[in-house]
Amino acid sequence: MLVRYLLATIVAGLFAGILLTPAMYVRTVPLILHAEEYENAGGHEHSHDAAAAAVPHEHEEEASPALPFGRLGNTLLINLVAGAGFALMTGAAALFLGRRITLQNGIYWGLAGFFIFNLAPAFSLAPELPAMPAADLAARQAWWLVTVVLSAGGVYLIVLRNEIWARIAGVLLIVAPHVYGAPQAQNLNSAVPATLASEFAVSTLATNLFFWIVLGTALGWAIQQYAQSELDA
Amino acid sequence: MAAARTSTTISLPLASRLTTAVFSLMLGAFIVYGVGLSHSETMHDTAHDTRHSYGFPCH
Repeated sequence: MLVRYLLATIVAGLFAGILLTPAMYVRTVPLILHAEEYENAGGHEHSHDAAAAAVPHEHEEEASPALPFGRLGNTLLINLVAGAGFALMTGAAALFLGRRITLQNGIYWGLAGFFIFNLAPAFSLAPELPAMPAADLAARQAWWLVTVVLSAGGVYLIVLRNEIWARIAGVLLIVAPHVYGAPQAQNLNSAVPATLASEFAVSTLATNLFFWIVLGTALGWAIQQYAQSELDA
Repeated sequence: MAAARTSTTISLPLASRLTTAVFSLMLGAFIVYGVGLSHSETMHDTAHDTRHSYGFPCH
């Protein structure tokens, strides 16, 4: 087991997770909070069930089983954990492929991760705000997962293989889930203003691009700094 | 050393990196599943803002 390599990837992931948190609080969290106002207002307005309408948002928060670190604390915790998770997967991919993530090429690993995990799924399944109409959750999650896996295969075939068939197959893999189509909501009526939704879509892509560039660069730095000897052995 | 620093490939044979690669991928996938996709209410409510911001399907 390459323990230093694993620890280096985790350190890079935690670092990127820390930096993602203020970026989210500047760009995306205010929009989520804003949309939740419509979520509550919308629920009240459209509900014909008096009992359901009478449930205020505060009650919902009291009953919420979220971990007890407050909204910012929970988000920071989850960002740290998520950063480590994405870092471990990126580090694993590099190990499988026999490629070294360095300070110089780290940004490209980050851009690949951004494309695979954020941009490709967002083509057909735009990032949603609370209270936006959406199709069945499980169906969207399944589509998201399939798209991520296919896009990863596509990026590998296009970037790391030189054969022409591989390039073509790579493009097909990336395009396939969008031709098939993401699950879409039946009814597009939304309580959330369209400008808020479009601002949110752009903001999430911007913050995630920032996260992945930091993560890729930090991975390269940490692996070079702490795990070089293991990889040269 | 200079060559090793700029090298973008790993000389270590696949057999010696496979265990770490598999372990790292499984652990990473497990974490990302928990953060982004798990239907557990505790996970959903704790990870709520991250899920939305990250573009995971939520709700």
